[in-house]
Amino acid sequence: MNRILKTFCASLLALLPVAAMAQIDGEFVKPRTGKFLLQNATVVTVTKGTLNNTSVLLENGKISQVGTNISAADAEVIDCSGMFIYPGMIDGGTRLGLVEVSSVPETVDYAELGNVTPNMQALTTVNPNSEAIGITRVSGVTTVLTVPTGGLFPGTAALINLNGYTPDQMYGGFKAIVMNFPSSGRRGRFDRRSDEDIKKDSEKALKEANEIWDNAKKYLELKNAGAELQYYPEMDQLSKAVSGELPLLIVVDAASDIQNAIKWVEGKNIKVIFSGVSEGWRVADEIAKAGIPVITGPVQELPSRQSDRYDAAYSNAGKMAKAGVKVAIRTDEEENVRNLPFHAAFAAAYGLGKEEALKAITINPAEIFGIQDQYGSVEAGKRANLVVSTGDPLETKSQIMHVFIDGYRIPMSNRHIRLYQEFLERSPGLKAN
Amino acid sequence: MKKLNIILAALLGLGLNYSYAQTPKGSVLIKNATVLTVTKGNLENTDVLVQDGIIKQVGQNLAAPSGIQTIDASGKFLMPGIIDAHSHVALDVVNEASAPIVAEVRMKDVVNPFEIGIYRALAGGVTISHAMHGSANVIGGQNATLKHRWGSDDPAEIIMQDAPRTIKFALGENPTRVHGRGNGIQPRTRMGVEAVLRNGFNEALQYKKGWETYNSGKGQKGNTLTPPVYNERLQTLADILDGKIIVHCHSYRADEIYMLINVAKDFGITKLVFQHTNEGFKVAPEIAEYTMGASVFADWWAYKMEVYYSTAFNAAILQRNGVITSINSDSAELIRHLYHEAAKTQRYGGLTDDEALSMITINPAKQLGIADKVGSIEVGKQADLVIFEGHPLSSYAVPQMTFVDGVKYFDIKADKDDQRQFVSATEMVEPVFLHSEEDHQCLQDVDAYFEAFQGAFLEEKN
Amino acid sequence: MKKQFLKAGIVGLLMAGFLSQSAWSQSDPTGKRRVSATYAITNATIFAAPGQQGTKGTVLFREGVILGMGANLSLPKEAQVIPGDSLFIYPGFIDGAGTTGITKPKDLERPKDFVSSSPPDEIAGITPWRSASDQFSIAGNQVEDWRKAGFTISQVMPDGGMIPGKASVMLLGSTGSVNVLLENTALAANFRGARGMYPSTPVGVMAKFREVYQNTTLALDHSKLYASSTGVKRPEMTPTQAGMSAVVQQQIPVIFTAATDLEVRRAISLQKELGFKLILSGLENYESVIDLIKSSGIPVLIKLQVPDDKAVKSQKADSVVTSDTKAQYERVKEAYDKALKQASLLEKAGIPFGFSTVDAKPGDAMKAVQAMIKNGLSEKAALAALTTNPASILGISRVAGTIEKGKMANFVVSTDSIFKEDAQIKHVIVDGHLFDYEVKKKAANGNGKSEIGPVTVAGVWEYTSETPAGSSSGEITLTKEGSAYTGSISYDDPSGSGKVTAPIKNVSVNGKTLSFEFDVNAGGNNLTVTITGEIIGATMEGTMSVAQFGSFPLTAKLSSPSLSN
Repeated sequence: MNRILKTFCASLLALLPVAAMAQIDGEFVKPRTGKFLLQNATVVTVTKGTLNNTSVLLENGKISQVGTNISAADAEVIDCSGMFIYPGMIDGGTRLGLVEVSSVPETVDYAELGNVTPNMQALTTVNPNSEAIGITRVSGVTTVLTVPTGGLFPGTAALINLNGYTPDQMYGGFKAIVMNFPSSGRRGRFDRRSDEDIKKDSEKALKEANEIWDNAKKYLELKNAGAELQYYPEMDQLSKAVSGELPLLIVVDAASDIQNAIKWVEGKNIKVIFSGVSEGWRVADEIAKAGIPVITGPVQELPSRQSDRYDAAYSNAGKMAKAGVKVAIRTDEEENVRNLPFHAAFAAAYGLGKEEALKAITINPAEIFGIQDQYGSVEAGKRANLVVSTGDPLETKSQIMHVFIDGYRIPMSNRHIRLYQEFLERSPGLKAN
Repeated sequence: MKKLNIILAALLGLGLNYSYAQTPKGSVLIKNATVLTVTKGNLENTDVLVQDGIIKQVGQNLAAPSGIQTIDASGKFLMPGIIDAHSHVALDVVNEASAPIVAEVRMKDVVNPFEIGIYRALAGGVTISHAMHGSANVIGGQNATLKHRWGSDDPAEIIMQDAPRTIKFALGENPTRVHGRGNGIQPRTRMGVEAVLRNGFNEALQYKKGWETYNSGKGQKGNTLTPPVYNERLQTLADILDGKIIVHCHSYRADEIYMLINVAKDFGITKLVFQHTNEGFKVAPEIAEYTMGASVFADWWAYKMEVYYSTAFNAAILQRNGVITSINSDSAELIRHLYHEAAKTQRYGGLTDDEALSMITINPAKQLGIADKVGSIEVGKQADLVIFEGHPLSSYAVPQMTFVDGVKYFDIKADKDDQRQFVSATEMVEPVFLHSEEDHQCLQDVDAYFEAFQGAFLEEKN
Repeated sequence: MKKQFLKAGIVGLLMAGFLSQSAWSQSDPTGKRRVSATYAITNATIFAAPGQQGTKGTVLFREGVILGMGANLSLPKEAQVIPGDSLFIYPGFIDGAGTTGITKPKDLERPKDFVSSSPPDEIAGITPWRSASDQFSIAGNQVEDWRKAGFTISQVMPDGGMIPGKASVMLLGSTGSVNVLLENTALAANFRGARGMYPSTPVGVMAKFREVYQNTTLALDHSKLYASSTGVKRPEMTPTQAGMSAVVQQQIPVIFTAATDLEVRRAISLQKELGFKLILSGLENYESVIDLIKSSGIPVLIKLQVPDDKAVKSQKADSVVTSDTKAQYERVKEAYDKALKQASLLEKAGIPFGFSTVDAKPGDAMKAVQAMIKNGLSEKAALAALTTNPASILGISRVAGTIEKGKMANFVVSTDSIFKEDAQIKHVIVDGHLFDYEVKKKAANGNGKSEIGPVTVAGVWEYTSETPAGSSSGEITLTKEGSAYTGSISYDDPSGSGKVTAPIKNVSVNGKTLSFEFDVNAGGNNLTVTITGEIIGATMEGTMSVAQFGSFPLTAKLSSPSLSN
């Protein structure tokens, strides 16, 4: 017995140096909070211009100062000479945290059964330990809207920051009820229904949506009047969109559907955001006139029609912005949300312009979500969601050096990076020795 | 264009041969570009002269011979036409999924020159794509290497006739799902995949021997030998063993990659390229030592179990270990921005410009066996060229013009709405259906092998 | 339906036997036998061959043979005279490749040891030994409908998979006659894959075709060696190889069904590679391959059909659509006009073509030809495509295609010049047998449209639907209860083989449009499937649609109408 224990301890000891060596120089094992002084960077504030040789002080999870002469003796100083500081990027539409491996149904949690399920909460199913979260945040995307899909009212989307161990720690302070707007398009190439039939079907679908909406309205009226209502979680949640307590995130793509959605919203006196909007460029003026903000994307996407120009999706954001629509960009991704800055870059190159493209993944989504006092720019008083990079983070060549989320310094590591570190020079190599 | 060729051919007294139609060749002088040759460095303010589809001169202050159009590319970048080593664009059928080995089917039979994806790829600077059979079978069909001569109505004209034969293999989840789980026949496991490969090659050896015996006796007096059964499937496998065909193998996991290397070694197969190769980084030294390299995604992962333990640093690790590495699309969407996909190797692994660019030019050319003809800007090579506004590895880069054999097929300034070559006489225009089925992928056409109703609507990924 | 056809066939055979007997006994208790097989159509306008002027005269024929024609024929006493004063006579039309009167043989049961990667030939749709003659029945509506449209001869192809079997040239004649003119005249082939087994797609079909062809060549070599030497292993020619031999030995051509230009190129490339004789059939979209067809010298049979104008007609006025919609409208219109013009381009290229009736509707056949004529096809070429060209392609010019002394008495007799919109067919004569048709008075308003009569809904419909997963089929049973309909539908079981039956709901009949719904359980989800179709006689064309997934074309035939309609 004793001998066995000894052998066991010895073997443990033998393991120790190996474990120590496996630790990478400079890598923290976990996010750390504290007081950080990011010194001498070029600060791209987004809202207040670009400031050279400027420092940013982070404390208590917030940006406390942005300036040239900040003294904070107790702060951990990070030299950012030659580097750039940007606000953390915000993806206005993802399924991040709701799925791990999309071909394995057991790991797919974004689509519940049922047509009217606004009570399904994306936030409660977010897996804080999803590999995709660690892989996303080192790209500088610090905050995402994570959105359920499915039926007409598939659930409630939630904004999350990509740091924390419980959904509540991650929650970013914004929720919206999702609506997949009924489509009036043909169902496929084989669909040769007459225009009249399509119109009828579309009217039927809208009528159904209206009935459900009216039901929620009635529920709200009775509830406000103090009636004791039977348990009805769907209507209880949907009524929050009716009252304006929560915005309605309407997912809509085809031009005619966008027009119908604009009409549908008219006179409802609710908060509305459009999402997707891949054919927004066809009806950009109408969206602008209705004053409805748009979260569009993916940008790196095929045109929606064979007859469209090859760059229809690339140029969509730019065309809408030109018409006066407030535009944010989404990836509509799960594992590759890290490509958000590149989607923005493509929109920039095809008409949106670099400045607007950066806004479309920082201050614009913050404004659309009504959280611009906390997010979307480098300004004192805002949440400490920051990216430090060697250059424009929308360029692939730039390296992201540091990421801060809620004042936490994020370890610049994840499984992809650890595999790189392990396998760049594999040992044993070709021949075991 | 085609009409013009017919007239030209008639003038020259040439007969038009159906199966090997004369393809258009152009002449042009591109001036003052920053020329990214990929193999010979970057040349500032340099001119490239193309005559009759071939790069004739690269240098400064070149004069245009009479009748040759000059294009001023001041402030712009000129690079070799991008080559996609893994695509399913312009194919009417992707998978003959019905048997574990279908080496006899030829994608050249079902090339569709009308597909809008060709034009969209040109608009992303892609001049050559490797139109592959799908990944439903352990040994799939023979692929077609296409030159994007948009506007032709003859499939033979967009097939790169001087490219060598290649064939698709596939390991792992797809063939085991389609056959083992979908159809109840081997392979159901990665063990079965190896067995199917070894069985196939051994049968091919027997087949080859059978024919050699028959052919040696045939025609001789008193011969009683009768012909063996003709089997193009086994004949194609025998051609692989004889080194006549380059194998391009869909693969993800390190163990299956290593398995195929061993099978190839045992059968003396040396022309081997791995496709996707998400876990290639784990066996990079082995791939470098034995194969013609790996063609990978820039950053795809996690869409199924066998790509869950991937890394976006894959290409960089492979490159640093001496593997010939290319970045491919396998998608009608991604094919439009391979320059951007290649640039991701700079974010994930810090590759140099030349290394990144070679992954979409000379490296895929090597893997397709056409590096002596295309893949870099060098005198004597075919004039497949792209002019970029902005460096092609910048996220803000915009392709301006794309040439195949010196003929301009894409010009951003002349890009009109609705580039479709074919419009149906019975097509309903409105209300529209927003289709996404144009995005051809590896498991297209295999739906019938899953349950009838559900299967029809499954979205498959690679 | 199959049973009915079989019955009709048996009745026909019995009658044939009875009639031939009665010819000996000179008795016919049915009272239906013709009193004389000699006929004269007098004083009609005769168009004896394409391109010839109509001449006034009489056509005299006996027992299916033309005895003479002209202005001053003396008629034998037994001649039954049909006054043709206001009528026009044309040679009987010939269908180059059709499936008229063909009933698909029952699908074979899959053997117990069935392996989908190497199925038996007959299950994979490779049945070159089959003959259309065995699947053909002269009785039934199909033959009657095409004869009514003026067709007197059809090369019928068997129904089946990629190589369904051999075609036969049939007279669309009397049920009392033996109507086979020529047997096994060509091998039918197409790019249709087998469902759920090898070869399942056009790319597999092409590879399989090569393999079958090459092995037939080898099997013939083997047989030759066996015949000339001793000590040679006995050849074991498979039914497939035996069925393919005539093709490999260039005795008969392959009729390849190739609807599009790409399919035409595929068929020609196989032909160039293997060297068989080729006829292209069912061409729909071929403008870009006209030069290729011309230079290859391959006979073509284009589809006797023009695209429907539903899309073109549904285009809205310029004022209410956006400019890009307008541009797309123009492209569809352009494609539509082009499609109608193609036949005239074949004529201009000097390619003699015939028609194939596959997929065409008999009632619309002449409308299709008229549309082609309106778009540039000459009347001469149109008539040639209906008569002399197919006669030449089928190798029956000696007996058919024109009105000449000694040829077969096959005529179309119409009330006006045949290509005029108002022309109606009054008689069709096949092999000397007379078929009379009712001629309608011209509608007063001239639009020729008839009122929609009551449609037949109740009964058993056999349907097939093309989905991305392949074609699926089953039966729809509809019963009328009061003014409403109820019923059930069978369909391929989503979770395995075989069929399941589900009740149908929400049946509505509006004019000619039938629609209903049913639920399918797929992987725990309930999917509602909607079927909508237009009923024309005993057929229905429409769509099967599943919300979110798409709509798929569906066709159905009423196999046993219920009496309670």
